[in-house]
Amino acid sequence: MKRKVLIADDEEVIRKFLRIHLDKLGYEVMEAADGEQAIEQLGKDDFDLLICDIMMPKKDGWEVIKEVKSNPKTKNLPVIVLTAKNEDPDMFKGYDLGANYYITKPFTKGQLLYGLKLMLEEPASSL
Amino acid sequence: MEDQDRKKVILTLRWTAIIVTSYLILFGRGRVTDLQLSHLLIAVYLLSNVLLTFVPKKWFSNTKLFYPLVLFDTGIVSFGMYLSEKMTTDFYLVFFLIIIFASISRNFKMLMVIGGITALLYGILLYSWGLLITEDSSSYTLRIPFIFIMTAFYGYIVQTLTKEKRQELTISEDKYRGLFENANDGIILLRNPQLIVVDVNREVEKAMGYTKGELLQREVFDLFVPEEMEESRDYFKEVTEKGEGRADCLSLMKKDGSLLEVDLSTKRIDLGDESFYQIIFRDLTEQRRLEKKIRQSKRNLEAIFDGIRDQLSIQTPDYQIFRVNRAIIENYKLTYKELFGRKCYEVYFQRTLPCEKCPISVTIETKQPASSIMKLSERDTTLQIFSYPILDEKGELASVIEYMKDITEEQRLHEQLIQSEKLAGIGILASGVAHEINNPLSGIIGMAEIALEEEDPSKIRSYLTDIINCSERISEIVRGLKSYSRAAKKGELGLVDINEVLEESLKMVRLATKKTPVEVIKKFQSIEKIQANMGEIQQVFTNLITNAFQAMDGKGGNLVLSTRSLKDSVEVKVSDHGVGIPQKYLNQIFDPFFTTKNPGEGTGLGLNIVYRIVTKYEGTIDVESKEQVGTTFTIKFPTRRVEV
Repeated sequence: MKRKVLIADDEEVIRKFLRIHLDKLGYEVMEAADGEQAIEQLGKDDFDLLICDIMMPKKDGWEVIKEVKSNPKTKNLPVIVLTAKNEDPDMFKGYDLGANYYITKPFTKGQLLYGLKLMLEEPASSL
Repeated sequence: MEDQDRKKVILTLRWTAIIVTSYLILFGRGRVTDLQLSHLLIAVYLLSNVLLTFVPKKWFSNTKLFYPLVLFDTGIVSFGMYLSEKMTTDFYLVFFLIIIFASISRNFKMLMVIGGITALLYGILLYSWGLLITEDSSSYTLRIPFIFIMTAFYGYIVQTLTKEKRQELTISEDKYRGLFENANDGIILLRNPQLIVVDVNREVEKAMGYTKGELLQREVFDLFVPEEMEESRDYFKEVTEKGEGRADCLSLMKKDGSLLEVDLSTKRIDLGDESFYQIIFRDLTEQRRLEKKIRQSKRNLEAIFDGIRDQLSIQTPDYQIFRVNRAIIENYKLTYKELFGRKCYEVYFQRTLPCEKCPISVTIETKQPASSIMKLSERDTTLQIFSYPILDEKGELASVIEYMKDITEEQRLHEQLIQSEKLAGIGILASGVAHEINNPLSGIIGMAEIALEEEDPSKIRSYLTDIINCSERISEIVRGLKSYSRAAKKGELGLVDINEVLEESLKMVRLATKKTPVEVIKKFQSIEKIQANMGEIQQVFTNLITNAFQAMDGKGGNLVLSTRSLKDSVEVKVSDHGVGIPQKYLNQIFDPFFTTKNPGEGTGLGLNIVYRIVTKYEGTIDVESKEQVGTTFTIKFPTRRVEV
């Protein structure tokens, strides 16, 4: 069974190339263009990974992570924060909220693959 | 005695005297030598009293009337006696006895008693001599009432005269005593030429602490402090030479040995054959103490005046300098003499007319304090000038204090603060911009990596198109940054078009807040340009527009920017439909470092800088806000701004 990944980012071009990478790796990819859509998708389906942007309209990434981690159903879902906010306080805030990995924009394919490997091939949920 | 009574009494007495005298002449049956002359005499006497009835009453209070009256009556009676020839020597004697009694008597009643006794004694005498039974007895009998009546007449007149005199003396004595004792000044009477105290008033006793008894008969020099013996002797030498003199440097010595500084005035008074010196003195102790206090407070004020390092200058209402503090003397390197009487605008501002924004002119006109800021470009100095009115007792403007504070350094620091806030603002903006750049940059890197691995040319083309789009977005952001930094450069004053500034600021803020779903409504009128630093005005609106966007973050709404021209100003409104400002914060929002944002997100200087810049250009800023409804900032800049 294919592993399911949700990409939540308001930037279309980023969703586009992430999907290409993840397709190649054999994941099933779903997209959300803002925070509300992301929560909606998470409610409908079971996912193996959430890649979440922070600065999104309607509901920002912090809110999404808070809701994911406070919901018993999704509380063990690994979350990779993908953001242009690259200062240390932001990173700490991300981890405090329960994010499992943190990638700052701009990033390379290598950084992404490392994160994916860490989250999905290792027993990521126990991190 | 009443004038009315007096006239009546005198007339009655005279009538009686006339009747008695006439009887004596007519019925004396003596050898009247000349009957006609006798009748004439009686007629004259009668006529005199008839005439006297027409004399006004008040004349009778004048003692001068009595002297001729007494003389006249005495003459007539004596002449009548002479004519009757019955008057023997003894009668003359009795008559003159009556006059003597009357003259020396002080008491009318006693006189009447004496008159009665004399008349009785005379009657007994006549009787014992057997004269009352002769044929001439009637002339003798008549003598007895004559004696009594004449005594009464003279007695009354003499009595009246002496009483009058005594009364006058008593009155003037009382008056003088009253003045003497109740005077607020000390009065000492000295006998001339011995200069010995003969009287002092109560004030002297009170001031010197001696009783009157202790002072009487002392030599005047004893009253002065021994150290001033020389001076007091000189003073009295002068007084005895000139008859009067003043001195305000002598001190009396009190009983307790302390000094009594006095202002002395001495004058010689001649009373009949006696001569006195009257010394009047006023206690100067209190006055000296007050003078000292006034001098001290004057010195204190002068020290404060001179100690103030800002420039203080006092001008008359026609701009003439008449008092300056040390700071002015030092600053302008002019002496007080060189400054005095010159016009302030000539000396301080090298002008021939009062300065256009002169606060003194305002104070002269309104009698109210005023202030303004003057830039002296040739000296590279900024002065804040305050003027305060000094009013006289009638409330008219007496003079104006001009207080000149050099705020050049303060202005510089202010500008520095604006600059540093600007940098902080750029920092915040930069992180926003960086985020904006990082997204397309991620797109570029990501797409390029995929393109590298892709072999299908049509797919590669699609990836490259994405890369170009992302690159264009980045270059657009960079262009916006450039225009902002251009405006942010420390600029000189110039004419600023606020509409243009609003457009620029909006563009800039938009870069960082692209995702907030805000509709911008512009209601720009063509407005007058203002004299200002472009960068500062841009900062005002960048801050306000940024706040507006942040207030509508995640919520959306309209941002209304409007401009319009008013009479002497231009008005700009920045209105949002954001979260609003809680009422309790409204009076704090312009305070420095006041922020409700998280640390690192806001400096708390944004609105403070807005406020400082607006007020720097003598503009005003008002805020209206309702929670969950929105906020409107209204800014007005004056359009006529004159720089010196």
